[in-house]
Amino acid sequence: MLKKHKILIIEDELELAKSTVSSLKENGFLPFHAKNLKTAKKFLRQERFTAVLLDLGLPDGDGISLIKEIKSTEIEIGLIIVSAKDVLEKKVQALELGADDYLTKPFFFSELNARLKSVIRRFNLEDNQQLTINEITLFPEEMRTLIHGKIVDLTGKEFGLLLYFFSNPNRVISKTTLGEFMTSSYVDYGFTDDLVYTHIKNLKKKITNSGGDDYIKNVYGVGYKFTVS
Amino acid sequence: MKLLTKTSLNFISASVIFFLVGSVTMYFSVRNIIAEDLQNRLLQQQKEFFNNADKNKISDLTSKLVFIQITDKEIDYSFSDTVLIINDSYILYRKLQFSYLLDKQYYNVSILQNQSQSDSLIKKIVIMNVGFAMLFFIIMFFVNRHSIKSALSVFYSTIRKLEDFELSKLQTLSLETAEVQEIKKLNEVFEKMATQIYNDFEAQKEYTENVSHELQTPLAIISSKADELMQADNLSKEQMEQLALLLETTNRLSKINQALIFLTKIDNRFYNQGISFSLNDLIKEKLHLFDAAIQEKNLSLDLDLLEINHVYMNPYLAETLIINLIKNAIIHNISGGVLRVHLSGDILIISNSGFPLSFSKNDIFKRFVRSENSKKNLGIGLSIVQRICELYTFKITYSYISEHQFKIVFKNK
Repeated sequence: MLKKHKILIIEDELELAKSTVSSLKENGFLPFHAKNLKTAKKFLRQERFTAVLLDLGLPDGDGISLIKEIKSTEIEIGLIIVSAKDVLEKKVQALELGADDYLTKPFFFSELNARLKSVIRRFNLEDNQQLTINEITLFPEEMRTLIHGKIVDLTGKEFGLLLYFFSNPNRVISKTTLGEFMTSSYVDYGFTDDLVYTHIKNLKKKITNSGGDDYIKNVYGVGYKFTVS
Repeated sequence: MKLLTKTSLNFISASVIFFLVGSVTMYFSVRNIIAEDLQNRLLQQQKEFFNNADKNKISDLTSKLVFIQITDKEIDYSFSDTVLIINDSYILYRKLQFSYLLDKQYYNVSILQNQSQSDSLIKKIVIMNVGFAMLFFIIMFFVNRHSIKSALSVFYSTIRKLEDFELSKLQTLSLETAEVQEIKKLNEVFEKMATQIYNDFEAQKEYTENVSHELQTPLAIISSKADELMQADNLSKEQMEQLALLLETTNRLSKINQALIFLTKIDNRFYNQGISFSLNDLIKEKLHLFDAAIQEKNLSLDLDLLEINHVYMNPYLAETLIINLIKNAIIHNISGGVLRVHLSGDILIISNSGFPLSFSKNDIFKRFVRSENSKKNLGIGLSIVQRICELYTFKITYSYISEHQFKIVFKNK
């Protein structure tokens, strides 16, 4: 069993923080919650975190001020900004200061899981090389897929979907969430459901044709679940 | 008309009128003065004549300019002009005629005074005066012009600075200090106004950011709770469907909110700074975002990008414009339809197969107007497109002749 990654959630909205904590717990993380900058700083001194989720609008100051502090530690900490401010300059500023990703509220937990795991892979070499669930192995860097040791030819979108499912095992992911993920939020509504359906159908077919189990289950027509026992 | 030209013209016309009236008046008054002087001299001579007549013989009094004739009746003394021919040249004289009674005999006496000298004197005086006045006016004109010009230079620099004033760039107006009280005051007012406008702009910017934050955060909570609930094992199909709907609606609400904030930002000219870039490259790059969607709908792509076109605009707005148009052409396309993207010169044409509009063509850019069978669309995308075009005064038109067609001319009006 791998040691659990400690994640610090800096968020002043208590309800949102509670949901985030339970969602991260379910996904195998060890989350901590700080409701303001002061508590966050205390936590950062006491614990060694793998990643930090930082809200920008905090009661005792702008989260931007904490970015440098988090990024100047000896061991690299992954940093994802989670903000309601969908302002281009803010994003640019945060990323320039060293943030690894920027997520706009409201976000989906599946999206958060996927981004978080991607950031963690970047900084933790032991997780970097490959991801394995039973007979399926993914190499995120090279975008390569092996099933029973044999290479499976997946398109970029299919690989992205599979990686997304890998980051969210046993989680119901709604069609809306998958649609947003697949279109990088560029497309507002209209045809994402069909898009999701087609790609998942193709992905399922490629996995089962290569001798893999049918992991991707349809949940009442509202979403999908990557079931791993 | 420039202020300087206007004041110069006024000055010149006033001077010319004054000058004409002045010279004529002066001519006549000088003439009067000299004529009076001539008359006085003649009267003086008359007095001398009377004195001499008592002592001398009357015939001795005749001279070159005094003529005496015998007459039988008395006449009143009178002045008149007369001309003598001396050495073949006409010379103008002033004449005083009077009667003189001596030994019961009347004599008619005429005394003449040369007028031609005084005439040339008048001419000289008038010319000299006119010359000085003209010189004075010319000097005044240039001094006046120069002082107005130097006073206005600050004024013109103020105008230039006001023209270059851009809200999104943090700057104070920093106008030149003027010597002239009025312009100084004007600059002060402008500086005050600019600061005020800038502060208002900042406040509004902060307000839109806050609105976004205040609305997005509760939406994030709803969304996260629905997402969390969905993970429960014991949900019925109906409950699951309701949760999925809740999630979807929340997501849509958040997108509407974002789109409306974005529209407000365009209206408030948040995205002012532009760069020059190739529209060609941008279209190619953004089309790739839709590869999957194009494939999914089985659309045939008719791409014809003729030249490398450079436009000058904010890159984020350009991106939004292109994405929204392509997206629109895909969403409202039919399965197996055509998507055309044609660019030549300044003109971009994006067209797609699809059914005719179920609403008026004039409403196509209006917010929340959408066709019956695409109720899930936000109905804001084309409003945003139109607003961006308006901002840059690009002309955008929509037409439907078997295909929906949007045409944009990337040329500032």
